[in-house]
Amino acid sequence: MTSTGLPDSLIATLPGSSYTDPAVFALEQERIFETMWFCVARASDIAKPGAFRTVDVGRESILVTRARDGSVRAYFNVCRHRGAKLCTQESGEVARAFQCPYHAWTYDLTGKLIAAPNLTRMPDVGRTEFGLASVASREWLGYVWVCLAEHPPSFEEDVVGDVVARLGDAEAVEHYDIGGLSVGKRIVYDVRANWKLIIENFMECYHCATIHPELTEVLPEFTDGLAAQYYVGHGAEFGAEIEGFTVDGSAGMDRIPGVAEDQDRRYYAITVKPQVFINLVPDHVIFHRVRPAAVDRTVVECDWLYLPHVVDGGRDLSRSVELFDRVNRQDFEACERTQPGMSSRMYAKGGVLVPSEHHIGAFHDWVRERLGTRQPR
Amino acid sequence: MIPACRLADLPRGEAFRLDSDPPVSVFHTDAGEVFAIDDTCTHQDASLADGWLEDCWVECPLHASKFDLRTGAVDAPPAKRPVRTHEVVIEDGMIYVQLSTAAPNLPACVAARLAGAGG
Repeated sequence: MTSTGLPDSLIATLPGSSYTDPAVFALEQERIFETMWFCVARASDIAKPGAFRTVDVGRESILVTRARDGSVRAYFNVCRHRGAKLCTQESGEVARAFQCPYHAWTYDLTGKLIAAPNLTRMPDVGRTEFGLASVASREWLGYVWVCLAEHPPSFEEDVVGDVVARLGDAEAVEHYDIGGLSVGKRIVYDVRANWKLIIENFMECYHCATIHPELTEVLPEFTDGLAAQYYVGHGAEFGAEIEGFTVDGSAGMDRIPGVAEDQDRRYYAITVKPQVFINLVPDHVIFHRVRPAAVDRTVVECDWLYLPHVVDGGRDLSRSVELFDRVNRQDFEACERTQPGMSSRMYAKGGVLVPSEHHIGAFHDWVRERLGTRQPR
Repeated sequence: MIPACRLADLPRGEAFRLDSDPPVSVFHTDAGEVFAIDDTCTHQDASLADGWLEDCWVECPLHASKFDLRTGAVDAPPAKRPVRTHEVVIEDGMIYVQLSTAAPNLPACVAARLAGAGG
């Protein structure tokens, strides 16, 4: 027994209130989601200049678009005049400018204020100074990432660094050419659970043999309960009889040409803190973006990415998509079953992590550190 | 005639706004023609020089009424009245505007301000 009163095999989770208290969630919004790089959209969702998406990041609505020069731009979706929400649609396309529907303040794609009623009679109003407030943005792996921090942390260290930490080097992910793949399927899951339950679930495989019969059939080593993320640079190997990463183990689609021999017939999983989860298999990539909506509600947007000719050729992707769609539904059902227990009196001090889940303890330490609520263990 | 700017300083597809009262804008079309019209939309106080030039039309940046640079005619509401057109003369690479003597069709608030300023 240690000083925590737990046997050595077990370490404590976060307390139940960490998953149910709106004040904790507000602090997470402020100190995690509004501070770190946050993946908001597939680059092809805003393929052309003027195409846009509005996304909630933390407590803010963010407008993401593409300027005439093809660069990605992100702005606070708030009119500089009287604060009206500039774009109310989730996605769309403007020809030339964003116009506030209240007083018609009009901004070009670079955020500059280009017109407003009586503006020429106010020559002292700076058109950049009163343009849309911009947010840092990047394109990587064919996704658009934004950071609301005034001084964004290094993208290379935080985002690329998480991928390198899992795969061992940055080249390993480049083999999959994720930016060059096409979206074959997108499914959006609305999950009635705290975002941390979803991330924790992604991190461990102790549950795999119980709730993922199809996945453990394809990846037999998952029955041991050690997630691919338990090791550095380790990919779970397909079973001997398995032809491809599909719901029935039948052959998959065309293999991504860059995938190395030692990556073939293997499954890799990466978590990019705080809200991205990526699966790599030889013929496709599954890219999850987790969007915390409330303390007990999380939206997970999941893309299945294939070689462009596979998608354009109208190949039947159903068996390929169905494997991880089932895994997701099994996982999210488990998370939804767990959420009510978080507010049980019995769970006030939290639960325990078994050895194959101990790396989740590091995630908990990380959350506490971000929130400034680190406690002695 | 009022000197506006040098032709060489006004690229095709762009506009130059003269701070006359009421303001006038000179447009250089993609086809290479130069036109001058009143800068203020007849619907609301907006600068047409800030609008979007396409062929011989300029679209108001606020509510999308389009004005024909050749005649001043408006295509569709919310603007209902035409803008004045002004004669353009180019001499030695300099653009000059001969202001129209017709009464301008300004939006109500701008017209009232001009009336006040003019005594």
